[in-house]
Amino acid sequence: MTLLPDEQAKKEFLERVRTALGRTEPLKHVPDHPSLKMELPQQEQKVRTIQAKNEARRERLITALLSRAEQMGWRVNRVPGPEEAARAVAEIARDAGAKKAARSAQDIFKRVDVDGALRKMGINPLVLASGRTRHRSQLKGLSFEAEVGITGVDYAIAETGSCVVIPRKGLSRMVSLAPPVYIALVEPAQVMESLDDVFAIRRMQYMQNNGRDTNYMNFISGPSRTADIEMTISIGVHGPGQVHLIMIG
Amino acid sequence: MSEVKSKEFQSASKAALNDKGLQRLLGRVVHGFADLRDAAVEEVTEPVWEQLRERARSIKQQTLANLDYYLELVDKSVTRNGGHVHFAKDADEANKIVLEIAKRHDVKRVVKSKSMVSEEMGINQVLEANGIEPVETDLGEYIIQLAKETPFHIIAPALHKSREQVSDLFHDWLKSQPTNEIEELCRIARDELRDKFATADMGITGANFIVAETGTVMLVTNEGNGRMTTSAPRVLVTLAGMEKVVPALEDLATFIRLLPRSATGQRISAYTTFLGGPRSATDEDGPEEYHLVLVDNGRMNVLKDPEMREVLQCIRCGACLNTCPVYQKVGGHAYGWVYSGPIGAILTPLLVGMDEGKELPFASSLCGACKDVCPVKIDIPRLLLRLRGRATEGGNGVKGSAPWIQKLMVRRWFSSVKTRQAMNRSAKLGRLLQRPVARGGRIKRIPLPMVSGWTQQRDFPALAPKSFSEVWRDSLDKP
Repeated sequence: MTLLPDEQAKKEFLERVRTALGRTEPLKHVPDHPSLKMELPQQEQKVRTIQAKNEARRERLITALLSRAEQMGWRVNRVPGPEEAARAVAEIARDAGAKKAARSAQDIFKRVDVDGALRKMGINPLVLASGRTRHRSQLKGLSFEAEVGITGVDYAIAETGSCVVIPRKGLSRMVSLAPPVYIALVEPAQVMESLDDVFAIRRMQYMQNNGRDTNYMNFISGPSRTADIEMTISIGVHGPGQVHLIMIG
Repeated sequence: MSEVKSKEFQSASKAALNDKGLQRLLGRVVHGFADLRDAAVEEVTEPVWEQLRERARSIKQQTLANLDYYLELVDKSVTRNGGHVHFAKDADEANKIVLEIAKRHDVKRVVKSKSMVSEEMGINQVLEANGIEPVETDLGEYIIQLAKETPFHIIAPALHKSREQVSDLFHDWLKSQPTNEIEELCRIARDELRDKFATADMGITGANFIVAETGTVMLVTNEGNGRMTTSAPRVLVTLAGMEKVVPALEDLATFIRLLPRSATGQRISAYTTFLGGPRSATDEDGPEEYHLVLVDNGRMNVLKDPEMREVLQCIRCGACLNTCPVYQKVGGHAYGWVYSGPIGAILTPLLVGMDEGKELPFASSLCGACKDVCPVKIDIPRLLLRLRGRATEGGNGVKGSAPWIQKLMVRRWFSSVKTRQAMNRSAKLGRLLQRPVARGGRIKRIPLPMVSGWTQQRDFPALAPKSFSEVWRDSLDKP
């Protein structure tokens, strides 16, 4: 039932583009563009250099991330370890008056016992992932009911104060979006210096997977906001109005 | 395609100037955006900003020069991601494709995140006419959808609406209690739209950039409606102008640094979303089916036109609107179509045709502020001048509007300034001829048919009693 593209229209369209550019034949070579030139081995080398550079200045990057994140509207908390992180999460949920807190099913929750800490506060933890007892179709509705959403991240970017979240199995797109309060758990090794670093890594991963990489990603850089009425900032429109970044270690 | 009313620029801008409420709002908000942008640029420092602009311009130029290659690459990449890529010649074709996708999935309700090309297409009217409910989910777009208006500004579509007007609209359409609190108005919209997100069958987004190598569409949003639109419905369609392509993921860093700063003065917007296909088999959520529709709608002619091609570099940030002394006074609706301000004065005549849009290139003082702030270094004043040239003298398939007498006068004027002697002679003659009409150094009206238009909008400076060279000579003669 899918509407398949009209291949003839596609061909004619591309021919018109070619004619508009004054060409009669398709290009024989890849255009000379620096970001396209690098093959996988060079891209991997580039990423190794980036990782080494960031590893060497980890502490400075963390400080830079936390200060930029604060400027971008994150509430920032640095804790020494997993236990304190779990407690910090539970306290945020309690202060928000939450009854239900949704989390993803990422590995980080094996280290950080968020569920236990939440229960101690009398808050119901809810794992927002499909499984034997829960069908995919229920996730959207459940995410709309939760008052807090908690996820780990893939990267954090010091340049922009962003958390990079790549949804996949166990990590619904809705956990970091639908509940009015969002908590991102970040670990030191995830901190990247710049946007360039993250895009270089993503390109490498894409090439490693032969283009069969996940299609979806978000850079989250503070609370949801709008200035659409009289250019006056208002926080928390469709996404969370309160966002917390917890740095573990 | 959506209706074009650009011929009415004169009367519409007069009406805007006489609208006191609008003038009050414009004075406050448009400058506000420009100030925020300036502060954000200052923070990265001028030399760094210049490097970014230069890099962005070069990436865009290089991509446009090989657009056939990159569009084919987009097609391959998105298809590999599991999506479908459609190419549409014009608004009608694009509308038909979207409608057909919707029909095949028995779609009743569509949630839309902001898309300027969808405004060109007028897709909402097409969906409505076919019994499908389109819901704009960007707050500004939602407001103007309720008000049945077109965007007033590229990035802030409801900039012209006061909180009282928004409250009235919500009261009329959503039966909400009137309020003066902007927070409360946002809450009303959020609750209303939550329900739409929960029940919509299809999502439509625009695209800020499309990465050819990976088939990645990038969306810049602040409210989260873009994320909702790309996550909740089971079918997702992205609409994009064919010029939105960049080669590789790493090119995006430059544009992320430029776009939010130029648009809203933000270092980065709250959400930068990347998508490019349906969800994978293991993903928890996301659309089951994904379509990318690449739209020409007049762009091919611009690509073909070496003098104008650079306007396709535009990333729709709106910075040129905010800094434009004309836009600051007349606002967005006077321009009569989807795009307003300096960039609209170029895009409208190029995309919809000179017949409809020829008033607009004249709506500029050519002060050059737009060129200074453009993040991709489009030489806007030069393009405006060239379009004026085409509108009057003709060229590029356009029939010029200048009457023969005006063309004759310009030719006469040209030969009269070619040599010193000719210029002195003409000046003498001119001083004689202007006597009946020059008053206090100005000519307010030339009472001759066909040339009277020259003084309709402004006074013509009269020739001075003595030319500079005469004054100079006289002063040298004196001891």
